[in-house]
Amino acid sequence: MPQSLFDKVWDAHVVEELPGGNALVFVDRLIAIEITTPQPAAEIAEKFADRLFDASRIVAINDHVSPAKDTETAVQAQALRSWAKRHGVVMYDVGANGICHVVTPERGYVEPGITLVCGDSHTCTHGAFGAFALGIGSTAQGGVMLAGAIIMQKPKVLRVNVSGRLGNGATAKDLALTVIATLGFKGATGCIIEYHGSAIEALSMEERMTLCNMAIEAGATTGMCEPDETTIEYLRGREAQPKGEEFERKAAAWRGLKADPDANYEGVVEIDAAKIRTVVTWGTNPGESVSIDGAVPADADAQSLEYMGLVAGTPIRSLALDQAFIGSCTNARISDLRAAADVLRGRRVMIPTVITPGSQAVKRQAEREGLHDVFQDAGALWTHSSCGPCLGLSMGVVAPGMRIISSTNRNFPGRMGAGGRVHLATPVVVAASAVLGRIATPDELPAVQAETAAANR
Amino acid sequence: MIVESRVLALPRANVDTDQVFPGKYLSLISREGFGEKLFEGMPGGRELLASKPGARIIVVGDNFGCGSSREHAVWALVDYGFKAIVAPSLARIFHENAYNNGLVPVIVRDPQAHAACLAAERLSIDVANETIRAEGCEIARFELDPLKKEFLLRGGFMEYLASKVDTVRAWTRRRVS
Ligand code: SF4
Repeated sequence: MPQSLFDKVWDAHVVEELPGGNALVFVDRLIAIEITTPQPAAEIAEKFADRLFDASRIVAINDHVSPAKDTETAVQAQALRSWAKRHGVVMYDVGANGICHVVTPERGYVEPGITLVCGDSHTCTHGAFGAFALGIGSTAQGGVMLAGAIIMQKPKVLRVNVSGRLGNGATAKDLALTVIATLGFKGATGCIIEYHGSAIEALSMEERMTLCNMAIEAGATTGMCEPDETTIEYLRGREAQPKGEEFERKAAAWRGLKADPDANYEGVVEIDAAKIRTVVTWGTNPGESVSIDGAVPADADAQSLEYMGLVAGTPIRSLALDQAFIGSCTNARISDLRAAADVLRGRRVMIPTVITPGSQAVKRQAEREGLHDVFQDAGALWTHSSCGPCLGLSMGVVAPGMRIISSTNRNFPGRMGAGGRVHLATPVVVAASAVLGRIATPDELPAVQAETAAANR
Repeated sequence: MIVESRVLALPRANVDTDQVFPGKYLSLISREGFGEKLFEGMPGGRELLASKPGARIIVVGDNFGCGSSREHAVWALVDYGFKAIVAPSLARIFHENAYNNGLVPVIVRDPQAHAACLAAERLSIDVANETIRAEGCEIARFELDPLKKEFLLRGGFMEYLASKVDTVRAWTRRRVS
């Protein structure tokens, strides 16, 4: 029977069928983070003689708050650290870490055709590589630590074909938000989203990661892209990948990992990339978005409006902001920072603006390119890598009623701080909005004086 | 097992786990005292809880538990005292987490039956027989995953996986060759 990309990866990992339509599915890679690992680690230490299925399949990363900000986060980081050390698990810690969904790919721990899990819902990011990558709870993670496998029912597969090319300033983030709005905030529940089409093939790996990162926001189990030469070139030479012939052997296998042309899908959704425009969310879930040229919709949910302090019909560009944030596993890779720097070069921000690179490696690259000077000359705060205010934990949490424009992935009530109002957007829109103090695009900004731009280079 | 209690009705759709258990508490590594934080991230959430003391059954809207994978959300519901959650649908990871922590995930898709659950003052949920009764009358049926139902009723998720270690190891050896 012709198979989807997901079907192939699934079949290659089913250890055995279990009652009730469940399967025992082998896990190639576990990313262990400080938020969700200490609890199962303690349980296994207590009840299962501290056994671990295979330490070499695990990567440990202190990521959500790092370095620790208080005693609790320090205890949590130390719990992960001592567990990793005890078992000889490779670890990326303070100085070499960052957000796990940025660090893992850039170090080469994810690759086409593998299964990968992590106790974090944005694990779907790694589907960009053609991996089956899935967020799980702490208990399920304990099962992976102990037995190297998860128990699950086979999800359905939804095919999203994106034809044409992104244009008009639209980015992978706009595509991600458009897919969510098209399918609905829970429209892909119980399904994997397989992305296909010329527009996807044209995306860089960083853009594919941005796209897959937000698959969960449509309720999907995960997202997946077919591996191709872009994938292979991204992985070549990465730390955890073999060199020379061995890498070429793997790459040859990856080239063959494609969906069969006549594979069956639960549904097929067609999207024309050329029609995608810059979008911003107005509401309290990522499905509540609208074109930046539009207005808060007339049929907007009343509770969302009340929380966001908005009235239907208000033009999006007129919304005044209190803070701006560029960061997170969605949009804090080097290409995102370059795009934001292109907007901020020679300009000044009007509102408090925090820029947090996705990993320390991204930070170092940005600094090699002088982007940190561009940001700081513009009056923004340039930080070390962390999840930061993305989940209201540290480094820029907002106060009740504050309106923030953010390159992150969730605008839920209280997500970036109790009572805070979050508008999701691309790094470019966040940067332009920071300059004008209201939601804006770069074409609205006054031209930069040549000498100012030069002085800021 | 029968869960019987008054009902806390939370008819809103898409309640995410940040509202159930705010991110700022994720730095706690134990699982204790989480009930005190339950629904702190939801506008009016604590007041709602206080309005129905003694409720062990919560009836919620569509797609409850979406967003972050944090099992803390289920731990908080269980720590507060909830034994069952009734919904038209639950987000995938939350659903799984509920099974693994003894919180009975009761899916009632039929809109009328769900509305009846929301409106009921008390419900009685027969987990083994997969039925819901209100005032003595059966008002809905539901289905649990037969394998996960075992974990739900008797625990033992980790023990079950421990029993599979040899199978998985044998599989990995076959896979290499
Ligand atoms: S950056 Fe935000 S969404 Fe991504 S892992 Fe961190 S907290 Fe989660």
